[in-house]
Amino acid sequence: MRPFTHKNGDRLPKSIPPKAKGRVHANDDDTQTGAFPVVRRRPPRSLNANANRARLVTSVLVALMCALLGFGYAVQVHNNQSSYQSLSEEELVRLLDETSTQVDKLEERKSQLNQQLASIKSAADKQKEAARIAQQNEQSSGLLSGRLPAQGRGVVVTISEETDRVDATTMFNLIEELRNAGAEVISFGDVRVVTSTYFLDTKSGLECDGKKMKAPYTIRAIGDPDALQNAIQIAGGVGSRIKVQYHASVGVEQSNSVKIDQVRRGQDYQYAKTVE
Amino acid sequence: MTAVLGLVLGVVAGIFLQPDIPIGLQPYLPIMVVAALDALVGAIRSYFERSFSDRVFVVSFISNVITATLLVFLGNQLGVGSQLSTAVIVVLGIRIFSNVSSIRRFIFRG
Repeated sequence: MRPFTHKNGDRLPKSIPPKAKGRVHANDDDTQTGAFPVVRRRPPRSLNANANRARLVTSVLVALMCALLGFGYAVQVHNNQSSYQSLSEEELVRLLDETSTQVDKLEERKSQLNQQLASIKSAADKQKEAARIAQQNEQSSGLLSGRLPAQGRGVVVTISEETDRVDATTMFNLIEELRNAGAEVISFGDVRVVTSTYFLDTKSGLECDGKKMKAPYTIRAIGDPDALQNAIQIAGGVGSRIKVQYHASVGVEQSNSVKIDQVRRGQDYQYAKTVE
Repeated sequence: MTAVLGLVLGVVAGIFLQPDIPIGLQPYLPIMVVAALDALVGAIRSYFERSFSDRVFVVSFISNVITATLLVFLGNQLGVGSQLSTAVIVVLGIRIFSNVSSIRRFIFRG
């Protein structure tokens, strides 16, 4: 890089001064021959301190991230428990649908159960009614068939014979008159009068349902006392006939409490069967 | 250690402060949490692989959260928010599962 020496320079023509100026620079370069340009080094830092600081920063960052995660998690968990606020519109609609469907189902179930309850109640009522009717039937049929003792308002008819015996037909007429007048329960002496009661004339006297009867006869009948009394004592009725025909005395006494204790065992029907 | 400490601190702060989340942020918070969880599990895995880099962790944490949120936000804009959030959850779940399974291999060597 140095083409010209001072000696060579003497050979050059002197008409080129600019080059001489350049040569001055060349001389400046000369002083720093053989060295690379000095790059200023960064100020030396302690490697150890740097690493420590970096580690601190990164661990703080990591902790911050993890704290964010934990924070978000806790907040979300809390938030999720509380309300429907975070649900989207369609989710809310779906929820509403589900709820209303459930309500409908429950309503249906309720009405079913109500129906069931009503039917059970009516069944119970029916059963009660049936029991009541059965009891009623039992009572009335018991009275009718003579199975149960009875008492109530009615009349007591006393017939005392003088000489002639009252015959069976007349007695039966008397009973029939009482029945027509609405007597519900009748007893003749110590025989309960039922549908199958018969009177029979025998040599020894009147027989009723296989029992010998002796005067005076006592006939008790439960029913409307006035009607019963009228039935016996009506002019030309059975009472007067007994008086006139058989010269017997007929006494009719109304009573508020006629008691008929005579009962009779239930009849076993051999031929008749109930129609189912 | 600092990670566990931070986690505990965050949970405690969340429980005790009980902040009200702004309504606008509510649909995104669960997604954010899952994304962050994915980043955390990934970090644990890389820790076991001895290639844990805090810088990578921080960047992946933030980018995970932001990406998931943006995706769900986009879905909400397009009207497929719930589907897209399901998709994000599924993908993150798969990633969490695979990361956990590799962690398990590191721990149990099998």
